Amino acid sequence: MSTTSFMNAGERIVDETTILIRRILAGESELYYKLISPYQRVVYVCALSLLHNEAEAEDCAQDAFLKAYENLAEFKGESKFSSWLIRIALNEAKMRIRKLRPEKYESLDKAVDLNDGEYMPQTLGDWREIPSEALERKEVRMVIENAVKTLPKIYREVFILRDVQNLNVAAAAEILGVSEGVIKTRLLRARMQMRDLLAPAIKNSRVFSRPGFKKGTNPWL
Amino acid sequence: MAMTCKEVWKEISDYIDNSVTPDVRRELELHLAYCRHCAAMVDGIHNIIVLVADERTFALPVGFDSRLRARLKDKLRFYSS
Repeated sequence: MSTTSFMNAGERIVDETTILIRRILAGESELYYKLISPYQRVVYVCALSLLHNEAEAEDCAQDAFLKAYENLAEFKGESKFSSWLIRIALNEAKMRIRKLRPEKYESLDKAVDLNDGEYMPQTLGDWREIPSEALERKEVRMVIENAVKTLPKIYREVFILRDVQNLNVAAAAEILGVSEGVIKTRLLRARMQMRDLLAPAIKNSRVFSRPGFKKGTNPWL
Repeated sequence: MAMTCKEVWKEISDYIDNSVTPDVRRELELHLAYCRHCAAMVDGIHNIIVLVADERTFALPVGFDSRLRARLKDKLRFYSS
């Protein structure tokens, strides 16, 4: 959605999203699709990141959009509309897990932040090209999506918001209710784990054993 | 003093996001110039970011948009009646 802004008669900057919301609240409900249309993917992927099932994630995303409509008057513009929408989607997904699979919800709640531990990346061969054409192959997309699913929840949600949805660190911190420092730490772990998971799978890189690696040497040569 | 591989790993994510200080950037790039392992790690993480940001990854299911429109149409009519 365009973020075009202009100055109204009251000299206040009003963006298109705010105008749309005002018109919807004033009775033009048919504009709601226009308001939420740019956020279909972000809401769906956020739901999918917790639910791991496409049909359930789609249903959850639809419910989140309807819940956002019901509560639109409560959106005060203190955060971005997208952040508010994503929070609703994540809460909706968590509610579904709590209702349908309470044992799974327990594990979400007890997710441990491994900030203090050190992550040791695997020593892999080069993977220097950007293989975007590889995405034409469905199996490559599946490998990537499955790799994201294997990330611990606290890393997965940060990775989805920051790298899949391209939100900035501040927005991700606001949505998840943690500091920007925590977001950065979790993002680093998530990216390293994703690289370790995907580099061998996509490029068929050789995986070298850690004990052979010593600082300042190049054992892979 | 030159950065070690471990020190580089801690900064890799911020480096890719272009949010390290100029001093850290300089030190890190000095290290990357001779450490092929860390350079490959930077490239690998960069590739991951490019791949997952592509909308072909985590694409919406076929028909998602029309099913959403139909449900909104149904519910919004209910809300406004």
